[in-house]
Amino acid sequence: MYGWIWRHLPGNTPVRALISLALVLGAVYTLFTWVFPWAEPLLPFGDVTVDGEAGGGGGEQRGAAG
Amino acid sequence: MPSSTESAHEAPAGQDQEPEAQKRSDAAAPRRPSRTVRIVAGAVSVVGELLITAGVVLGLFVVYSLWWTNVLADREAARDSDAVRDLWEEQEQQEGDPGGTPADEPPPVFDPADGLGFLHIPAMTGTDILVKEGTGDDVLNGGVAGYYAGEPVESAMPWDEEGNFSLAAHRDGHGARFHNIHRIEEGDAIVFETKDTWYIYKVYAILPETSRYNTEVLDPIPEESGATEAGRYITLTTCTPIRTSRYRYIVWGELDRTVPVDENRTPPPELS
Repeated sequence: MYGWIWRHLPGNTPVRALISLALVLGAVYTLFTWVFPWAEPLLPFGDVTVDGEAGGGGGEQRGAAG
Repeated sequence: MPSSTESAHEAPAGQDQEPEAQKRSDAAAPRRPSRTVRIVAGAVSVVGELLITAGVVLGLFVVYSLWWTNVLADREAARDSDAVRDLWEEQEQQEGDPGGTPADEPPPVFDPADGLGFLHIPAMTGTDILVKEGTGDDVLNGGVAGYYAGEPVESAMPWDEEGNFSLAAHRDGHGARFHNIHRIEEGDAIVFETKDTWYIYKVYAILPETSRYNTEVLDPIPEESGATEAGRYITLTTCTPIRTSRYRYIVWGELDRTVPVDENRTPPPELS
């Protein structure tokens, strides 16, 4: 997969290395800016409040996350 | 898997041509792996690369949770804290200089959503913790503590005659304001600073582990802490053990005394 991407990048080796680096940084940026903030409330790692009814209506909105 | 079914279908056709192709290549080069083997090897290598990628992404998520959210929250909390301090200063100046305000400039309005005051817990952290209204993600992810505003209880305010001032903050990530809550011991001071008053509470009970559904800890008279009569209590809630949200960690304090803020905002002895 990564080999295929590497073979399809234009330019010589240093140019390809630079483009690869840019792609990696772009992927990390995307993860940190959009993917992780979206995924985090769906994971049960950051609930800090006590809240009443287990699984009650709107309960998932109430438990603070992060 | 699409690739394996594809190869199974094509295998008979490929076998027909193989003898000819082999005759040509056998003479010069060693025998190449068959088409099926190459497809399987390719599939295995793609799966392997995807697994490595998944591992790297999970590692990055840990970096995000435990480090990057703190960077963002610290930045946001510093900005919001400054805004509250500036607002207080502005209000102070207007009170000291009535009539000095231009008519077209309305006096700054106090909004608990922007910040009620600052929590100081020297046993836990040297950082001033801004306290805002609400305990939702949108509030707590800003590196602040929030007081319960209706769900599941309506917190009392420190200046109320009696009741329970109930707060929540993150143990990890997003500023991790209550990260070291386990360092608080009975007798330690919790000081809440508003524009005009220092509220000095003394910790008298700690519950290191309770169910997340145990809302009784927030009662106006939190009986689980041993309290039996109405008073002015403070309750801190966060998650425990560290880096999980399985249980809740509770610290209770009771108001010891209040001290008016002087013009230099000299902190009470508990903070020096």
